[in-house]
Amino acid sequence: MTDDRDGGRREPAPNRRASRRVGADGLRSDGGDAIADGREADLDRGPFQRWVADSISRPERVYRAMFYVAAIFFLVTTLFPFYWLLMVALTPEGQLQNILFTPNGFNPGAFVEVFEVIPFHWYMFNSFVIALGSTIVVLVVGSLAGYAFGRLEFPGRTPLMLLVLVISFFPPAAFFIPLNDLFNTQFAALEPITGDGTLYNTPGALVTPLSAIFMPLSIFILTTFYAQIPDGLEDAARVEGTTRLGALFRVIIPLSAPGVATAGVLTFIAVYNEFFFSFLMTDGQPQNWAPILEGILAYQGQYEVMYHLMAAASILGVIPVAILVVVAQEKIVSGLTAGALKE
Amino acid sequence: MARVRLEHVTKRYDDVVAVDDMNVEIEDGEFVCLVGPSGCGKSTTMETIAGLTRPSEGTVYIGETDVTNLAPKDRGIAMVFQNIALFPHMDVFENVSFGLRLRTFDDEEIERRVEEAAEIVQLEGMLDRMPDEMSGGQRQRVAIARAIVRNPDVFLMDEPLANLDAKLRVHMRTELQRLHKQLDTTIIYVTHDQAEAMTMSDRIAVIDAGRLQQIDPPLTCYNEPANLFVAGFIGSPSMNFVRGTVVAGGLETENFDLEFDPAGVPEVGVGDEVTLGVRPEDVHLVADADGSARRIGTIEATTDVLEPMGDEIFVYLLLDEESEGSMEEDPMASQDQLLMSVSPDTDLREGDAVEVTLDGSKTHLFDAESGDALVHGIAGRSGSDPGTAPTEAED
Repeated sequence: MTDDRDGGRREPAPNRRASRRVGADGLRSDGGDAIADGREADLDRGPFQRWVADSISRPERVYRAMFYVAAIFFLVTTLFPFYWLLMVALTPEGQLQNILFTPNGFNPGAFVEVFEVIPFHWYMFNSFVIALGSTIVVLVVGSLAGYAFGRLEFPGRTPLMLLVLVISFFPPAAFFIPLNDLFNTQFAALEPITGDGTLYNTPGALVTPLSAIFMPLSIFILTTFYAQIPDGLEDAARVEGTTRLGALFRVIIPLSAPGVATAGVLTFIAVYNEFFFSFLMTDGQPQNWAPILEGILAYQGQYEVMYHLMAAASILGVIPVAILVVVAQEKIVSGLTAGALKE
Repeated sequence: MARVRLEHVTKRYDDVVAVDDMNVEIEDGEFVCLVGPSGCGKSTTMETIAGLTRPSEGTVYIGETDVTNLAPKDRGIAMVFQNIALFPHMDVFENVSFGLRLRTFDDEEIERRVEEAAEIVQLEGMLDRMPDEMSGGQRQRVAIARAIVRNPDVFLMDEPLANLDAKLRVHMRTELQRLHKQLDTTIIYVTHDQAEAMTMSDRIAVIDAGRLQQIDPPLTCYNEPANLFVAGFIGSPSMNFVRGTVVAGGLETENFDLEFDPAGVPEVGVGDEVTLGVRPEDVHLVADADGSARRIGTIEATTDVLEPMGDEIFVYLLLDEESEGSMEEDPMASQDQLLMSVSPDTDLREGDAVEVTLDGSKTHLFDAESGDALVHGIAGRSGSDPGTAPTEAED
């Protein structure tokens, strides 16, 4: 019986396949088989295939889904470290194990303690002065260079521009040893300003090299912007009573506000965040103009590392830059895109 | 208020001489137009007066001061630019007072002078607008107000009306003339539009290829052009030119002869190669001729194209029937075409055979080689009659 049955079962199979083929060709139709075929074609498409077909016919949903996936990915990768920093800062000292999504305990006092252990506000002030000073130097010198490159015709303009570009490719570390040596050399002319006649342990030791390093980018941004201001406006200002410099500051710079804001904010952030020179150009004492970086590292003693205070200090250090970016964001965006379109 | 004097001013760029040995003297209170085709150096001349460009050679005087090496701000000038050049980040008040605020004026004085200037150009009540909220004509008036508010010695205007539409341009032209009467300041005005120059200026300085061709009152430039270029540039449509040779009984050209007595015209001698110049309104139909003795010669021609302008008809005449109106690149060089202006009620059709004659008193002869004018009016000798209205056909 079983054999028979098996044989009986086996036998129709090739038949069905054959009839299916024929039915598909439409040459011969067998009622029951044809219906079974139709159902089977539908059933062949699993949920995945149906989803694909659906996505092809209506791609908007897929685009939206992909937007969310990408947005969430970037938000998580950028914001999670910051979140985690906050968790570390809120965790009381000595309980730093196994922090992932929640702090081990709750100690907002760390944000106050930061200022009690060392004068962190002093470090912040130093960083602020250094970043602001570099930004001013970069904007003033970069504006003059941008005016010359963008609005004047003179022999050797392109080679000079290329030279600026080449210098911006140098690794800053290559300048460190000679600069450090230079800043530790005493100059009689500097004595009334710095006391011992050296630039080491003054803001100058940071402002000078950092503004030089970040200058080329600003020169390029400002050149692009200043070149776009019509000649007639500058001529009008000069006839009305300004010098060329006066025209630059009264007409060209105000009309290039997005470019100036972009160059200024980029420089400020870059100098504020800079590590290498900031770490080595002062002895780390706040009264000697040590920047934030030294302040954060100061919580690292010989026998203990106060991670929660380092984290709290890091968060406090980010706040000024975050405010600056939010305030200047609109101008930066229009500045960056305007520069991009021009090229 | 001041005279402006250019002495041997030359401006060379790498391989181009933009201004070539320019000598001009502009009187106090005069309205002078610098006029010429594009690229003739008129704007460069203006820029050397303004101080925006330093001349390669020569001296610029404003008043009795040598200003050649002075910055624009120290020259006592104000300028209106072709592209208007209002500062887009300032409102009208700030734009107009820009020059005053750079100098030592107190606030009340600035306010008073801005309001006065705004009144002159009829911009009261618009002082707090931004330039991008204004129409082209209003912006132009702001630019003029910015120029007059400082009471400059000299006004420089570099094609200030070029970017306005035709109707506004005519209106602003009148306003500028009114302004000139009101302020009585020296105005130097650059334009490529000879009609603008004719209507507005006390004197026209015609410039070509960086050289001053003629500086004279408009009607003198029109009636007694110094050379072929001025003759062709001033007046619209431009003068007819025909090459010819002076013979014993008159003038021989390729297609017609003119009768006059060369002995009565000492400037030319028999055998000279000359270019004959005659304006369209000085070509008359013989049928219309009133028997005046000034008419010289009879020219047989065929009418080609008629251009009715309303108050007159411009008729293109073919002198040589075979040529069939050759379209030469430079119509002034055409040897077998004449342009005639007739009154609108003249009954003419294309293809008519006509006989025309020229007004001898307004026929000019130019040296064929140098292009310099030899004589204005080869018969009748009254070509410089100042009472003659030059723009109307006299038929």
